[in-house]
Amino acid sequence: MLVGDLSRRELAGRLASAGLGVQFGPFNLTVRSDLGSFASLAHHLYELYPLLDAEAISDFHVQIASPRGLRRLRKWVRPQACFSVDGQSIFAPYRADHAFPALEWGINWCVATRAHHLLMLHSAVVERNGHAMVFPAWPGHGKSTLCAALTHSGWRLLSDEFGLVRPEDGLLLPVPRLISLKDASIDVIRRFRPEAVIGPLFYGTRKGTVAHVRPPAESIRRAQEPARPRWFIFPRWTADAAFTLEPMPKSQAFLMVATNAFNYDVLDEIAFRLVADMVRVCDCYSLRYSDLNEAVTALEKLSGSIDG
Amino acid sequence: MLLGLTSASRGLVWQSWDDVYLVYQPSSTETHVFNDTTTLILKCLGQGELSQEGVKSWTEAALGVGQGELDADEFAFAVGRLEELGLIERSEELIAI
Repeated sequence: MLVGDLSRRELAGRLASAGLGVQFGPFNLTVRSDLGSFASLAHHLYELYPLLDAEAISDFHVQIASPRGLRRLRKWVRPQACFSVDGQSIFAPYRADHAFPALEWGINWCVATRAHHLLMLHSAVVERNGHAMVFPAWPGHGKSTLCAALTHSGWRLLSDEFGLVRPEDGLLLPVPRLISLKDASIDVIRRFRPEAVIGPLFYGTRKGTVAHVRPPAESIRRAQEPARPRWFIFPRWTADAAFTLEPMPKSQAFLMVATNAFNYDVLDEIAFRLVADMVRVCDCYSLRYSDLNEAVTALEKLSGSIDG
Repeated sequence: MLLGLTSASRGLVWQSWDDVYLVYQPSSTETHVFNDTTTLILKCLGQGELSQEGVKSWTEAALGVGQGELDADEFAFAVGRLEELGLIERSEELIAI
């Protein structure tokens, strides 16, 4: 059963009471909220995600809700929304109209700080024909934009934020959540694929203007299918830059992947061996681009060179 | 004075690419990047304790450069770095009676 199988009223009811159980790849979440605007948006953007069975155990219990003490002061205080996990407030309150991105960031925080049974790379990951392309990058380097474009060009989304590596076999686990776009990249994707499902714009958030792209249904449906790493691409979007896609020495790729991981220091030798194994089997490239179409075409050609 | 390996040098995990050696040190849980010279010093001392001069000569031979051609500062830096990481140590030379 999917979130979209619930009526909007049923979904709002669950959010406001015991919580909405949703599965995002390897993570089970219970989401609670008393905010009507949040329920409406969740119904639209989470529509394709599977609901948890009644007996499933949640990894995280998250909530985005009005701060309790302020309810009677609403007349005088701008409406706010607080994110909490397992009953603990983590961040300063957000504007109530930023509740949706606040929940999405909060879920990222939960994964990044708690999923230490996996090596977590700060990367977008897409897959085609069983081969995964990993894009480790710092914020602002264009990985989410590229990821959104590729997933609307025949690639399967594993994640726009986390390269989750399973230590037992080195495979990448999908966590195909919404793709978060910022500022100019929102219009870039609107122009690139007008049919992409993009949520509303949230202006003036802590990360600028943001909007969320719903992954294609196929990516969400195949959220339990891991993929084998095949390429590391280190992207860098630069305005007006000439396109380059150049092989990167493996030693440099290793250091960039290791320093980019969320929990390399937590996993110690396991992380060293996993990163070394991945870099050994992957072709590594540095990508600089300003034109999204050019980058997508080049990466398709690169993947085609082994697809035969 | 002799140079020798410490117990911390046991169990190092190595990965080499492009003349660069990436080394994981379990005792400190750190990852290091070593060049040829640093790597060869460890390899030399893996055969047993040796004087600093002896290690330098062995390293020069392994690098394929003439005796005395390895820059003294570069060698001293590498030795210092390995001592800092706790992978090698100095000990008094045993005097045979």
